[in-house]
Amino acid sequence: MSLFIAPHTPVIVQGMTGRQGMTHTARMLLAGTPIVAGVNPRKAGTSVAFPLADEAGTIDIPVFAGCAQAKQATGANASVIFVPPSFAKDAMLEAIEAGIALIVVITEGIPVADTAYCVELALRKGIRIIGPNCPGLMTLDRPDGQPGANLGIIPEGIVGYGPLGLVSKSGTLTYQMMGELSDIGFTACIGVGGDPIVGTTLQEALEVFEADDATKAVVMIGEIGGNAEQDAADWATQHMTKPVVAYIAGFTAPEGKQMGHAGAIVSGGKGTAQAKKEHLEAVGIKVGRTPGQTAQIMRDILDGAARR
Amino acid sequence: MDLYEYQARQLLEEHGIATPRAIFAQNSHEVAQAADDIGYPCVIKAQVKIGHRGQAGGVKLAKDRDEAIVNSEQILPMSIHGHKTSGVLVAEAKNILHEYYLSISLDRASRDFDVLATANGGTEVEQVAKEHPEAVKRLHIDALEDFDLAAAHKMAASIGFYHADVDQAATILLNMWRCFKDSDATLVEINPLAKIGDPDDESSKSLCALDAKISLDDNAAFRHDGWKRFVDPILPDPFESRARQHGLHYVHLRGEVGVIGNGAGLVMSSLDAVSDAGEDQGNGIKPANFLDIGGGASAETMGESLSIVLSDPQVESAFVNVYGGITSCEQVARGILLAAKDLVVTKPIVIRFDGNAAAEGLRILDEAGNPNLHVRASMEEAAATAVTLAAAAKEARR
Repeated sequence: MSLFIAPHTPVIVQGMTGRQGMTHTARMLLAGTPIVAGVNPRKAGTSVAFPLADEAGTIDIPVFAGCAQAKQATGANASVIFVPPSFAKDAMLEAIEAGIALIVVITEGIPVADTAYCVELALRKGIRIIGPNCPGLMTLDRPDGQPGANLGIIPEGIVGYGPLGLVSKSGTLTYQMMGELSDIGFTACIGVGGDPIVGTTLQEALEVFEADDATKAVVMIGEIGGNAEQDAADWATQHMTKPVVAYIAGFTAPEGKQMGHAGAIVSGGKGTAQAKKEHLEAVGIKVGRTPGQTAQIMRDILDGAARR
Repeated sequence: MDLYEYQARQLLEEHGIATPRAIFAQNSHEVAQAADDIGYPCVIKAQVKIGHRGQAGGVKLAKDRDEAIVNSEQILPMSIHGHKTSGVLVAEAKNILHEYYLSISLDRASRDFDVLATANGGTEVEQVAKEHPEAVKRLHIDALEDFDLAAAHKMAASIGFYHADVDQAATILLNMWRCFKDSDATLVEINPLAKIGDPDDESSKSLCALDAKISLDDNAAFRHDGWKRFVDPILPDPFESRARQHGLHYVHLRGEVGVIGNGAGLVMSSLDAVSDAGEDQGNGIKPANFLDIGGGASAETMGESLSIVLSDPQVESAFVNVYGGITSCEQVARGILLAAKDLVVTKPIVIRFDGNAAAEGLRILDEAGNPNLHVRASMEEAAATAVTLAAAAKEARR
């Protein structure tokens, strides 16, 4: 059973030769992610040398003109996108048309109409988009030797493998929660992104964790704006056998102000943190007041399950 | 970005949707001229980016020049639900026979576009939906399909337009969709979409957008020349504009603790921690701002952020909360010292570091030996300390 991505899936990076792309490709490679190609039409045919772990030299990653060529040459079946917002739609379409099964979009600032178009197209083709405006996906190395992968910007070294799943709208709160529960560990951590429309919703991430035997409980981090937390909670109470504990950020956010993320806005009195918390609690999902308290609730639930 | 009514109607006009004749005016002299030009009676409407302005006294009918001037002198200085009036729209008064509601909006849950309509327009659609849910019709426009006149016609017929109005409504719906797409809008709402004209003369009747609300996608500004033509005549908050110049997300709030962090979620969480601590301590201390330094911020970015926050006279203490992922706590620490040196800091700064280079960052702060820097181990403790220090500083100045 794999979470979001099959083990050993070769990965390409769209926008690898840019500043962000270079930095994070180096990080992902050091984390053991099998990155096999970059995409940039203007640098096709060249390659970029990245350092290997333990100063064991470098590895040359070839650059291809497009996703289709990269996929054909390397067998890649996942992509991480770092291109600027104005190029993001084309990058997503190219990856979708090449039939790449998992597309992780890190870019912040993509017009929502572009995202809506690409997400709908991907859904019809059975392709998963994660993001945009997200920290990406991290799966952990399993004790049975199955390697994890790091697709995006989630830092290595905070956590190891364990029975928890983590899904979040926010990047740093993901890291914070990983830190809080680092002694227990995670099967996978996924940042679904802070835009109004995302390729994988909180609920869709819960569906994947529910289907994964190794994941025993899930932490969900939400924030103001929209109804994704409520929808995920409604689905969880009807379909999930595993406990979900939630944290919601933004109780102090004023009406009509966008709080950093494009999707983080209370408008017309809708999408408040309070309404989300009340809805989640009404359907039986515990909501922590702080990330620390949320982690404590999760500990108590795991302890209770262990005693039974 | 939300548009004012006078800007929204301009976009509708450009897309072939009829609106009453109207002129935007910012003082009573301009209003008098505009009213003479439009003719009497006319409507004087406050231009604010918030609903329910009618109930707040922001919309008035004027039957002559004197009344137009008097009404505008009442409306222009108004703040409606905390929003300053940017001016008034002087609009032709229409004889309304019927009011519809029609909107197209982004649907976050179904990841497509929603068309919402009701034959009971004129009031808040949420109110109608609550009292007569059967009267509100909702349809979706697929994110991949385009939408043509035939589809618009079918939709108009099924969403409650009276038979005689369906043809016109279909054209308006199609034009609204083009306006929505071409402008990268997230909401185009016409309320009321009024049937106007002489009740006894069928040929004089037509549909007209009497009021409109449009929200545009800020992320799409790059393909619309930065929306320069929709610039807000009200001067923005000076702290918000300074932050924006540096590419920082900043929102000014009303409390006393300046909050800085990396990542929107963590900063929101920090604001909540400050509010909670203020409540727990019973001193009513609240956050003064939201400031996200983003991912991988340099010492310069951090220094600039701190100097923006500390220059705000309402700030009594600052709370810097960083979980180093891509961001290095060492860079943040250097930034704090940079700002502290330049500003001769007298306000207390409470710092919580975790993650990437946290130990190195804390060592740098410790070596600086600045008595105004207070390091705490957890976010909750740091928020509580920032609140206590803000309350003490406020008390001392009394």
